[in-house]
Amino acid sequence: MKKFFRGFNAILYKEFIVVFRDRTALFFMFFPPLLQIIAFGFALDLDVKHMPTALLNQDRSLDSRRLVDEFVNTGTFRIVKVVGSADELAATIRRGEAYLGIEIPPDFARNLRARHTAYVQVLIDGSSSTTGLQALNTAIGVTFNDSLTRLVKESGRTGIPVEVRPQVLYNPALKSPNFFVPGVIGTALQLATVFATALSIVRERERGTLEQLLVSPLSRWGLMLGKIVPYLCITMAMAALLFAILRWIFFVPIHGSVVALFVSAFLYIFTLLALGLLISTKAQTQMEAFQLALVFLLPGIFFSGFIFPRETMPWIFYAIGALMPATYFIELMRAIVLRGASLTDFWSSILILAGMGAALFSLCAVRFSKKIG
Amino acid sequence: MIEIEGLTKRFGTFTAVDHVSFSVGKGSIFGFLGPNGSGKTTVIRMLCGILEPSDGTARIGGHDIVRDLEPIKEMIGYMSQQFSLYDELTVNENLIFAGKLYGLNGRELNQRRDEMIATTHLEPYIGRRASHLSGGIRQRLAMACSLMHKPTVLFLDEPTAGIDPVARRELWDLLFEFAAGGMTLFVTTHYMDEAERCDHVGYIYMSKLIVCGEPDELKKMPEVNPSGTRRLDVTCDHVTTALQAVHQMRGVRSATVFGQSMHLLVDENVRRSQIEEKLRGVGISQSEIHEIGPSLEDVFVTLSAKHARGAAEKEAA
Repeated sequence: MKKFFRGFNAILYKEFIVVFRDRTALFFMFFPPLLQIIAFGFALDLDVKHMPTALLNQDRSLDSRRLVDEFVNTGTFRIVKVVGSADELAATIRRGEAYLGIEIPPDFARNLRARHTAYVQVLIDGSSSTTGLQALNTAIGVTFNDSLTRLVKESGRTGIPVEVRPQVLYNPALKSPNFFVPGVIGTALQLATVFATALSIVRERERGTLEQLLVSPLSRWGLMLGKIVPYLCITMAMAALLFAILRWIFFVPIHGSVVALFVSAFLYIFTLLALGLLISTKAQTQMEAFQLALVFLLPGIFFSGFIFPRETMPWIFYAIGALMPATYFIELMRAIVLRGASLTDFWSSILILAGMGAALFSLCAVRFSKKIG
Repeated sequence: MIEIEGLTKRFGTFTAVDHVSFSVGKGSIFGFLGPNGSGKTTVIRMLCGILEPSDGTARIGGHDIVRDLEPIKEMIGYMSQQFSLYDELTVNENLIFAGKLYGLNGRELNQRRDEMIATTHLEPYIGRRASHLSGGIRQRLAMACSLMHKPTVLFLDEPTAGIDPVARRELWDLLFEFAAGGMTLFVTTHYMDEAERCDHVGYIYMSKLIVCGEPDELKKMPEVNPSGTRRLDVTCDHVTTALQAVHQMRGVRSATVFGQSMHLLVDENVRRSQIEEKLRGVGISQSEIHEIGPSLEDVFVTLSAKHARGAAEKEAA
């Protein structure tokens, strides 16, 4: 065993000194993930509230004012401008001053009273599909609700025939930070880890110190483990910091066990570090290592289900996602943080992460050539 | 201590080292010379086990460099051309790291480190980062690192390249000390004065070892001293003018400038007075001429010219 990891303590000693002495590198290791979680947590809020709305009310009746109130009461719309003509309404949206335009024709109340269909025109800026869709759904909901209330009143029933009583589990307010921030931790850790080890061996190759190591009786396993352990410690500390931000800055309640959280983080980080190391053993220059790392990182962001749900992806992207450690970690994060799942509920994800880590690490040691050229 | 037989390294169609054979005795200093790109570093890398030979064998301390590499790694030290050190680490940390790499620990490690600091006079720099050291100090630190595990064979690849003359002298004093202690040293260099101080020298040219032996023996080689010729040292003013003048003389086979003088290889029948007369003809009235033996440089220049001629003839045929 001692021979198997020969030289491990020497590499560990050296790496710890180098890592903590290079303050700039340390800063650039911590800064991007922190920026990422803060930026995504605050900015990536897909719940649109108080959309600027322009109103053209040609009816000016009690009924039309009640309808406008109902629009406003959803919290989705906010009247920012009251206009006098249809042209002006369209222009307001075109200029970007309002996102939505509500036009109530002069005969609205009259039609309503005469039991004809009363029309309300809603103009929506579709140039941003997510917000457009949400505005549309809310607008339909408001008018549909209003119509139902009237029908019920006229029919003499006490309530509507069928009513949905939804109960949203795990993220009752359907807040997007709760959904996104656990995922951001996955991509943030990815950024910090892969680059760190991807550059580590190739840097020694470029500087010529690798040759010196190869002449010594250092074993491959000793070298690889010595390279990984310091970064494992640093990135676990970073993971703890990210979990703390999740809990106390974004107020996302952690329903599952903290131990489960750290076990998942450990396996995930180890796998990513091993991936970086594998890149480092293959690359001949730091530039090459950097580019290779990017090739592996980007699919981890797009196909892991971090932003886009994997279920709706074409099969090829779904398959690529299945190869990404981030996919399993993000799944675990959401399950543990939001649903309070235990590790045994998600043993397959844990097993896959552990398997990936062990395979990549072994590959590093086995494929690493102790010869040069 | 080192026995090399037919060692060959091919990179694709290029043969970097072509059937090189020689041996180095225990406790001796072997100087390995040759122009840049002639294959010196490739030979060292094969001997250190970080480059697989294409053909041939070599043994260090009786262990085969391909089949039995692990014991070799424990007994050799290697100081590469660029003095591979960790710039972020201090002098002390570089030494500790080198010791740990070879399994030293605790008191033994500290003791050995103190010994090496004393041997290489690194006391004033212990806490300094390697990146802040001058070339000469870096070289001494690199050497100290390669000696931490008490190797019995030490390979030094151009240890004095880019180092000032004082540091160069100090390094060689150390090398003699080590050799006297029984260590075998394998040194590549471009400096002839260094080569003169080696017990044995080998000269590699165009991937082939063209000569190997004691410096004094090599100077007596018949190829270097063609019969019917002698070597003269001519000291005078305006050496370049003088060189052009003597080149035109009959019986002058070669002429090379050495600082304030020139070395001539002339036919025996060329008299000193003839040379003096020729020099007066170009306005050089004062000249001092005396007979000399060949230098190691003469040996290598003559032999590589002969080898290049032979290779060209082979190609033509």
